[in-house]
Amino acid sequence: MSHPTDLKFLIVDDFSTMRRIVRGLLKEIGYNNAEEAEDGSVALRMLQNAKFDFVVSDINMPVMNGFELLSAVKADENLKHLPVLMVTAEARKEDIVRAAQDGAAGYIVKPFTKATLEEKVQKIMQKLAATA
Amino acid sequence: MSLSEQHNMKMDNQHALAPHAPAGASPEVFQQLGLITRQLHDTLSQLGVMPRLQEAANGLPDARSRLTYIAQKTGDAANKVLNLVDLAKAEHQSISAQTRAMAAAIVADPVKAVATGGVMNFVHDVEAATSRIDGHLTDIMMAQDFHDLTGQVVAKVVSLANELEDSLVKLLVQAAPADQTAKLMAHIAPVAHSVATSELSGPVVAPEGRTDVVANQGEVDDLLASLGF
Repeated sequence: MSHPTDLKFLIVDDFSTMRRIVRGLLKEIGYNNAEEAEDGSVALRMLQNAKFDFVVSDINMPVMNGFELLSAVKADENLKHLPVLMVTAEARKEDIVRAAQDGAAGYIVKPFTKATLEEKVQKIMQKLAATA
Repeated sequence: MSLSEQHNMKMDNQHALAPHAPAGASPEVFQQLGLITRQLHDTLSQLGVMPRLQEAANGLPDARSRLTYIAQKTGDAANKVLNLVDLAKAEHQSISAQTRAMAAAIVADPVKAVATGGVMNFVHDVEAATSRIDGHLTDIMMAQDFHDLTGQVVAKVVSLANELEDSLVKLLVQAAPADQTAKLMAHIAPVAHSVATSELSGPVVAPEGRTDVVANQGEVDDLLASLGF
């Protein structure tokens, strides 16, 4: 399967290890263009100042958590089209439901596998392509 | 049983203990001790220290559970990485041995090495082995997720320790003689708590028997599907 490798990802997680893992997996899947942010606040500034195509975000982060980032993205006319995939250790059902209701494009619970990330990213990409 | 209940039980037990007291201890001494203990208990309750101390103490089993989770995750990650390194090294050694054998075969009779399919077999074997090694390296990378998961749990335990320390410091200050309070305050003032508490719960350390959390990605997908997402 070919991938649009020019798509630009933003990986948001307060743990650098997890950012590196997600970045490494995206590279293996075929997406080489990714930048990183350590919390929602930094991510929002980056999103407002440069063009991104896809956001992969943790939830439990200092300063601005993933839910707040998701709400901010969906409230911004210029950003609300962006798919936001939550990748988090938060496993409470109420958090999953909240993420879906707030507009998350997908939800992955940690620990996860390469296959899970690839499946979710592809599914979101296909959905976007179908609605474009 | 809460700290307060334990304390009340101890207070009640004092009356039961009194008759068995040594001959040298008079009932008046026990009565006086009981009064002092009751006064201390009432004072602490009024100051609001006990509920917070009780809350922190109640969190200790949870802290133990979280520390067990950390030990489990780090142990699992270490074993996983070591096992994967063993597999990758075995593949690597196999490639090295096959490469040496192929080099010897080509040196001895290059035409025969190609004509018998030995070279192509070697190429395919190397390609398959490197693919497997790449998979092992990916798994080693994934095993590092313990840093994120345990880091969140450590933050929770540190937060609990801070709460406990805070309550004990208050208890110490209230129980100290008046002339010692200022000196104590000078010693404990620099204590600062930098770990922020969070309403988010982080990794589930003991999912058994819980219905409010999901145990794996399949349950996440089922939940979202049931909601029409």
